[in-house]
Amino acid sequence: MTDHLILRPSGEFAGPVDEHTLVLGIETSCDETAAALVLGGYDVASSVVSTQVDIHAQYGGVVPEIASRAHLDMLNPIIARAIVEAGVPDSRIDAIACTIGPGLIGALLVGVSAAKSLALAWDVPFIGVHHHEAHLYAAFLEDPTLEFPLVVLLVSGGHTMLIEMQDHGRYKLLGRTIDDAAGEAFDKVARFLGLGYPGGPAIDREAVHGNPEAIHFPRAMMHEGLDVSFSGLKTSVMNHVRKHPDVSSEDVAASFQAAVVDVLVTKARRAAQQVGAKGLVLAGGVAANSLLREQFLDACVVDGIHGFLPSREMCTDNAAMIAAAGWHRLRSDGPTSLDCGAFPNLKIPGLT
Amino acid sequence: MLILGIETATEQVSVAIGGHEGVLGLFEVCRGRRHAETVTPAIQFLCRQADIELAEISVIAVDVGPGLFTGMRVGLSAAKALAQALRIPMIGMSSLDLLAFPLRHTDRTIAAVIDARKGELFYAFYRPVPGGVQRVLEPQCGRVDDLIADLMARGDDVVCVGDGALRHRDEIHAELRCEFAEQFLSRPSAAPLVQLAHARALREEWVNPWEIQPMYLRLPDAQINWSTRAQGSTDNTGGLAR
Repeated sequence: MTDHLILRPSGEFAGPVDEHTLVLGIETSCDETAAALVLGGYDVASSVVSTQVDIHAQYGGVVPEIASRAHLDMLNPIIARAIVEAGVPDSRIDAIACTIGPGLIGALLVGVSAAKSLALAWDVPFIGVHHHEAHLYAAFLEDPTLEFPLVVLLVSGGHTMLIEMQDHGRYKLLGRTIDDAAGEAFDKVARFLGLGYPGGPAIDREAVHGNPEAIHFPRAMMHEGLDVSFSGLKTSVMNHVRKHPDVSSEDVAASFQAAVVDVLVTKARRAAQQVGAKGLVLAGGVAANSLLREQFLDACVVDGIHGFLPSREMCTDNAAMIAAAGWHRLRSDGPTSLDCGAFPNLKIPGLT
Repeated sequence: MLILGIETATEQVSVAIGGHEGVLGLFEVCRGRRHAETVTPAIQFLCRQADIELAEISVIAVDVGPGLFTGMRVGLSAAKALAQALRIPMIGMSSLDLLAFPLRHTDRTIAAVIDARKGELFYAFYRPVPGGVQRVLEPQCGRVDDLIADLMARGDDVVCVGDGALRHRDEIHAELRCEFAEQFLSRPSAAPLVQLAHARALREEWVNPWEIQPMYLRLPDAQINWSTRAQGSTDNTGGLAR
């Protein structure tokens, strides 16, 4: 199926989409099973997340088949809990939004199949949501005063992108990684240093007592454009440790983290300047990294730009952002057809 | 009492509605592995054509496998969410039972065999009894040699059914004399699912949606490799249904 069919309005939905519209969001694209209820696109009534990180830790990464099995086991109780915590009857729910891509196909299908069933049973619209677009909307849930144009630095285990958000549903890709995602680099270096999985928090902890200036790792493409590259940095870390087996892993972690953050913050500032952004937003799982948060905010203060850091709950995958993005999509495009599937490599709709 | 049956354990998507009067409607399609795209519109279409509201359904029956993991989870997830939303109970049935049931009028042992990919098969044996079939070999995951050895050990006249049996027809035929069921019976269908579930529903043998257990019969590959590395053994039976 081609991508343009995904957001095809079914034409049966006539209700207004306003501040009273209550959307149930569902997220199963990777290793978090999540459900949430969001009112009017901004007001989080409940948000429940069940993470599988402990299940996958022993394998050093997410195992798709194990993730899919866990989603199937967890999804019904998670949805039930989100509804109970919001304190509303089922009949109050106006629409069901669910991540349809990108992500692990088997994992996505569990959520999509359940979401469409709920929409059918309750006779409410189904809305297919792009996972990255939802990450962009995570910021609006916590700071509705954000003004366009915004530059969003989306950094996660699977993606590293700089996106200009010109308006709701209108995005421009300014830069992205040409090889490894930032989170992927964290995972690989953490595994190499024997710090465990997931790599982000492990490096963050190890770096606390290290000297970030102990080793000067390369900052690839630092002075050119808005794309980034972390593959060379990862290799450089490995070569350094092989050459100096006695090096302190705390110093390596701190110096590696400093290099990644340096590149990300420099590129984000440059992007914001280029497009004349009114705000600079951090999003995605790597946004939980403490050095990145600190330097990102410092840079926003220096540049006199409205900087926004999501709470740690909103950085990682959750369903509140799915419901929020779903509310906006329902308003602009209407419902998604019930013959929608899941799309592991979905492009952000409206991205140029 | 109306029952909605959902079956997606093989390449086929099958949805049926039935009750006291038997099967009232059946929708089946078997092309392109578009389970998630097909299953919800199929339910909607079937209800509309049979003039049945979802609110009239009392029980959701679902094929719990064994089968193709990603496909069977689509049906399971759709069925569980439907039961949760409608606040009705569920009945889970094995895909192998659904293959064997339509052959209940035979006097042979029935071997239900589903292609498990990766050179393996899911299979179980049944004998006809009045009104149905009875399992004489619990669901297994093995290679075609294992299936042939298990069939030879029984020494009965056999009829084989299922996409796995058809795929290995020549190898099975070379070792023992047996019959093969028609191609149109080679995939589990929601029609016998609804029929079998109806009998169980009359005895109120149902469960809540979150109690439905998929029957995978095979661990995820990563887990198999992991236990091989950790214990130096190939224990891959841990996924057997309890």
